[in-house]
Amino acid sequence: MRRARDTVAAPSPLVAPSDPSSEPVLRMQGITKRYGATLALDQVDFSVNRGEIHALLGENGAGKSTLMHVLSGLTRPDAGAIWLEGREVRLTSPRQARAHGIAMVHQHFTLVPAFTVAENLQLDRPVVDPIERARSLGWSLDPQARVHALPVGAQQRVEIVKALATDARLLIFDEPTAVLSPPEVEELFVVLRRLRDEGRTIILIAHKLAEILAVSDRVTVLRRGRNVVVCRTAETSAPELAGWMIGAPRALDAAADGDGGGSVAGEVSDPVSPASHAVPVPAEGPASRAGGLVVRGLTVPGDRGEHAIRMLDLQVRRGEISGIGGVDGNGQTELAEALAGLRPIAGGQLQWDGGPFRPGVTPRIGYIPQDRRRAGLAVTLSIAENLLFDAVREPEFRIGPFLRRGALYRHALALARQFDIRTGDLNLPASALSGGNQQKIVVARAFRSDPELIIAVNPTRGLDIGATRFVHAQLRRARERGAAVVLISTDLDELMALSDRAAILASGQLTELSQQAVRTADIGLLMGGMRVSG
Amino acid sequence: MSDLPGPDTPDRVALVFWTLARVLAACAGFILLLTVTFLLLGIAPAEGLRSLWAGAFGDAQSGRWYAVSETLVKATPLLLTALGVTVAWRAGLFSIGGEGQLLLGAITATATVRLMGALPGPMLTLLALVMGAAAGAFWGWIAGWLRVRRNVQEVISTIMLNYIALYLLGWLVDKGPLQESARRVAQSDPLPSTVLFARLIPPAWSDGIATRLHSGVLLAFLAVPVITLLLFHTRTGFGLRLIGQNAEAARTARYPVRALRLQAMALSGALCGLAGCVELLGVTGRLFANFSPGWGFTAIPVALLGGLHPVGVLLSALFFGALTAGSGNLARFSGVSSVLIYILQAVAVLAVVGLRAYQALRARSEGD
Repeated sequence: MRRARDTVAAPSPLVAPSDPSSEPVLRMQGITKRYGATLALDQVDFSVNRGEIHALLGENGAGKSTLMHVLSGLTRPDAGAIWLEGREVRLTSPRQARAHGIAMVHQHFTLVPAFTVAENLQLDRPVVDPIERARSLGWSLDPQARVHALPVGAQQRVEIVKALATDARLLIFDEPTAVLSPPEVEELFVVLRRLRDEGRTIILIAHKLAEILAVSDRVTVLRRGRNVVVCRTAETSAPELAGWMIGAPRALDAAADGDGGGSVAGEVSDPVSPASHAVPVPAEGPASRAGGLVVRGLTVPGDRGEHAIRMLDLQVRRGEISGIGGVDGNGQTELAEALAGLRPIAGGQLQWDGGPFRPGVTPRIGYIPQDRRRAGLAVTLSIAENLLFDAVREPEFRIGPFLRRGALYRHALALARQFDIRTGDLNLPASALSGGNQQKIVVARAFRSDPELIIAVNPTRGLDIGATRFVHAQLRRARERGAAVVLISTDLDELMALSDRAAILASGQLTELSQQAVRTADIGLLMGGMRVSG
Repeated sequence: MSDLPGPDTPDRVALVFWTLARVLAACAGFILLLTVTFLLLGIAPAEGLRSLWAGAFGDAQSGRWYAVSETLVKATPLLLTALGVTVAWRAGLFSIGGEGQLLLGAITATATVRLMGALPGPMLTLLALVMGAAAGAFWGWIAGWLRVRRNVQEVISTIMLNYIALYLLGWLVDKGPLQESARRVAQSDPLPSTVLFARLIPPAWSDGIATRLHSGVLLAFLAVPVITLLLFHTRTGFGLRLIGQNAEAARTARYPVRALRLQAMALSGALCGLAGCVELLGVTGRLFANFSPGWGFTAIPVALLGGLHPVGVLLSALFFGALTAGSGNLARFSGVSSVLIYILQAVAVLAVVGLRAYQALRARSEGD
């Protein structure tokens, strides 16, 4: 097996081990896509053979989805070419991709919930009878059932059948197992294999290693928008895939190429040995480490009523940053909202400093939600108002029922100065700020009242180096002050640079990284939902 | 859209200048559209415009006071209902229920006067106002409750509640318990004059013509600073505006989103209910089947034209009041049906909407 491990900087001869009998049905070459300062795809090559299940593996932000959006006509690349069946094609719209026989089964379904199954299946102008098609896969669909009344697994079947009914030859599945239970996953795999045996080509966007090993024929690994390796699944192993996915010592990588891809070089306090991430073990003893948050057997429902977090135990001491890593969609949001007291829990006990956990009272909570535009800000309101969400409810800023607007404005001004929010006028709408400065508003609100418990979810996503460094410094300062900090992040470098202890969240369950140094590959395995022995 | 005091920058001066320029442009565009409308309807434009102006602001022959007072009287129910719309829409609740809330307010005020007739006049008036506003608040609260508990969209539920109120009124005054004692016409008995609002201008002051300017007009004007204070100077107002712009961010910041939605709908309903009482006690003096010519609906363009800001809504309500009074006059003198006012109002709204769309387009092309 040939591989191009960690030679991301050099144009490596990526020799795909291809079966001589099967010609590539799809070849993407030199695909490049830039979003602002971020290079989402950097000269990516991708090639798939007819009649194979080809897995596309990578962390969040590796460029998997962008690459597939290019292929399905949703995104136009800045550079690169695409060949289908040996002919160069230009895919400028999903309609065009569809005409070329490419269909995507989205993670978030594109069904109309209020319509019946039959009505939804008619939306894409099927060329074969969809119900009949479903039956050939061993599924019986009730055409009269309303889609919103179906369980998630059944909705996904409708979505798949919808794509198949247009007789698509190339099917892209975007993390199809994310919403399924284990038996449903098995059933899906049976169907994927059957489709492959029909001669269709399947691209599987995935991050669960066991599933890739179980179902795919070949796998392409992307990391930070670049090719890492292409290989036959039969010739690789979970640890090897995990290593490719997250790369060798990332802190050093970042220092070497100095890109702004999210991590801040030089902030890792411990020297890191080349094959491992160092996980500092908390020193026992100091008084500041006493108390904090203790969580036992926490179970939290997700938005669909499933158990997004299952029987989770967690301890976060004061004066400690507890890092939680993992791939998005494994319960991060639900865990954060449960700890912040914003989401009702289905079971378990929470304690603060040995006493009752009353979020917002004991302890005072600073919360940095995952998605600032959705949950952190009202971008149409002014910068000042966005800084004052909490202050307006505090007695010191009121006289009787009325707000002390002058005092509030001065408070907003002080926060803007303290948290380095760069703007000429606080009365501009928050939408006028850059993403980094918007995030600083959220950070300022989270830290302004000296919270005892801080819950930060991907606090630096999309920020440049300066803003990232600033947010990291704030988190460290909170720790020095004796706050308990829960840092939930999909950025491993960030976790390793900041955390006193770290754990990986996969499928709603935590695995603590307890050894002094954990092999990089092990972290990758855990993120891929595997168990690590020893 | 800033609501906190800030430094006076050159930007601010420019902003004021451009706002004025925009208003002037809108006026010019409106006059142009009116001219075209008159031409299409076969009215001499100069005569039509003069007649419209005279109806709204008076002229040398007909006297100023009467026309101006009519403008104010017509603006009053529009102002109160549009303020109600402003409160709900600012909170992100697209209530269309002003009409039903207004009717229910008037019904409740009539019933209160009927039932509590023994009370002295001023106290009965006050009680009728309070009960009417409370009834409107209840009607709005129902839609709010359906939204926060059952996720029924308020656009739908408020329209349904409008029909319930409308047909309830129809029944009450036609063979129902509130019909006049004579039982001939679908209307209630006139309310005793002791509970009605006082006329503000003695005929002697207004060229001998009796005006309908009543003290309820003052109540409507007073609501403008009250709602301004509420929206921009209280914690509740902050919360209402926050849930209107991003309810998820409000929830994440621990705002009681459900309670705020209920408050917004109830307050919106109270203002509309009050509008019904004021019209009843100030102008009509009795309840009848066609009590409202659609004020609760017209309130929506009035509120939008006013930029959902109480002061803007005041100006907008006065504009619509003038338009209504003016076209009434136009209809009398030109023989054109008074339905014309609806055409003119639509023309006014289209002028503004068109201008906004043009600005949005320009902002977008400058954006990237």
